[in-house]
Amino acid sequence: MSESSTAVRVRPAGYSVVKAGPRGRFLLHRRASVVAAALVVLLAVVCVAYLCVGESFVAPGEVVKVILGQPSSAELVVGTLRLPRMVVGLLVGVAFGIAGALIQTVARNPLASPDIIGISQGASALTVGAMTFGITSYTFLPYLSVVGGIAAAALVYVFAWRGGLHATRFVLIGIGIAIALRSVTTLFLTKGDYLVAQQAQIWMTGSLNGRGWPEAAPLAWTLLVLLPAVAWAARAQRTVTMDDDTATALGVRLGRVRLGLVALGVVLASVATGTAGPVDFVALLAPQIARRMTRTAQIPLLSSALLGAVIVVLGDLLARRLFSPTELPVGVLTAAVGAPYLIWLIIRGHRGRSGGTA
Amino acid sequence: MSPTTDSPHGSARLAARALTLAYEDRTVVHELDLAVPDGQVTVIVGPNACGKSTTLRALGRLLKPRGGAVLLDGTELARIPTKRIAQSIGLLPQTPVAPEAITVSDLVARGRQPHQSWWQQWSDADERAVTDAMSRTDVTALAERSVDELSGGQRQRVWIAMALAQETDLLLLDEPTTYLDIAHQVEVLDLVRQLASPAADGTRGRTVVTVLHDLNQAARYADHLVAMKEGRIVAEGRPGDVVTAGLVREVFGLEAVIVPDPVTGSPLVVPGAPWTPAPVPAPAPTPGKAL
Repeated sequence: MSESSTAVRVRPAGYSVVKAGPRGRFLLHRRASVVAAALVVLLAVVCVAYLCVGESFVAPGEVVKVILGQPSSAELVVGTLRLPRMVVGLLVGVAFGIAGALIQTVARNPLASPDIIGISQGASALTVGAMTFGITSYTFLPYLSVVGGIAAAALVYVFAWRGGLHATRFVLIGIGIAIALRSVTTLFLTKGDYLVAQQAQIWMTGSLNGRGWPEAAPLAWTLLVLLPAVAWAARAQRTVTMDDDTATALGVRLGRVRLGLVALGVVLASVATGTAGPVDFVALLAPQIARRMTRTAQIPLLSSALLGAVIVVLGDLLARRLFSPTELPVGVLTAAVGAPYLIWLIIRGHRGRSGGTA
Repeated sequence: MSPTTDSPHGSARLAARALTLAYEDRTVVHELDLAVPDGQVTVIVGPNACGKSTTLRALGRLLKPRGGAVLLDGTELARIPTKRIAQSIGLLPQTPVAPEAITVSDLVARGRQPHQSWWQQWSDADERAVTDAMSRTDVTALAERSVDELSGGQRQRVWIAMALAQETDLLLLDEPTTYLDIAHQVEVLDLVRQLASPAADGTRGRTVVTVLHDLNQAARYADHLVAMKEGRIVAEGRPGDVVTAGLVREVFGLEAVIVPDPVTGSPLVVPGAPWTPAPVPAPAPTPGKAL
């Protein structure tokens, strides 16, 4: 039987080996690469549409001119009003997409996402709390929101830890903490001043209204700094999709890898929440749709990120124009799409599919 | 190169010293000493809950010892980086879980994890090991299939292929025949024997430690048989020396007759006659009782 080893060489099905330099060898999933390329094109189309459509229509040609920095009559509408807001939406979507993918991977559960397991709620509680105490500076609040998100995640992690991280317990405790934190937020809202409460309510729905370059810059820097960590995560993700014993037997330090993945996801989700508020369901939807498109054994990070961006930018475009002149917060739109999906997920899960192993 | 433990049964890279294992505050294994003979098939047997799987898990560093130690080449496992252990010891758990919708070749390729790094995700050695492992377990034709849609026997062979692709000298298999029909059981156990047998060029075969439920299979396939009861080793050695009516009675509490296996000559355990209803006495008429 062993003579046949000279015949067909087996590689992981669907992957190509890409050489980089003398020693670098990377496995590239062919279908995932095609999907990512298609999503880049889709995102570009959505972005141009975002810049064209609004109170006044701007021709795509003018939009391209503005992006390329050429003089254009649409400079004010596109360059000053629409472009910065679109960039914030894009970055928020990327951050939520990756965060959702990482947390769903570690929890081995498609229901787990930062807006379900308490991270968004932690960010909200602290931010709304600060607002009721009179802190309304949009340059300062995002940092508080990051602190709130990370603190909530730490709380979930500590409570879910019993000599190891049990995936289902992680999700259930997350949901419990999310509920507790939501009531804290409600308490702040009822105690607070009427106007502040209204402002906080809009923030909590998730909105890109009034966001621009000052908000885009810290988000862009965060993503850039975390890029090496995301590259690590894309590979490390593979190992945590197996059962604990098998992964450990393969030499994976599961505890550390899981902590690393969750920490990265929490930071990304918190930063995005700090910038635009909890834009519900983006982190839940993007990774699951991306995975159905790529058909990979783990959730694809790049496609999740791109899809997250598409959802937020397209969602904000629709939220701006659908009921014009009334502008809706983008979070209302993502929730309208995401809630039915969540219900569908739960119903399907109860039909005894092996979705949430562990 | 490194110091190995000598045992009465030859050299042993893997050994347990006064190993005590516990879950929470329930001690399962008590000060167990074991030297796993190199290049042989060691089979651990014993009644349910005797600590055999627990011992195997500890040998593969899945369980931290409460006392004593597991030694690999004379060094405590706890002192060796887990990735380096994974280059020497492979372990297949009782019920491994595959990522959803993963293909067979992708799963087998994950056995190469301990030999890879972030910038070296695939090498010629990886390709050779995966190809070889899949042909040895006869799953090459399944390469592009999804693991979810395989039969139990096929799936088990795929998991063994993954463990083989890891290319470790030591291989620990936790009840690899569970859920398999008898033909597939024999197939898996034959493969185990094949792995442990020396290659044509004289290089020593792999060291296999496995937990089995079936005493007769254990006696057929083991070079070295370890019988455990209540967290202790009751007897160990060649199956012909270990498996006696007295041992079966002591370990399993079962009255049995030991006869030579008609095919292999290894000891065959034949339990006492099955329960039969006692001869029915002539029905005495019992007044007042109706059906």
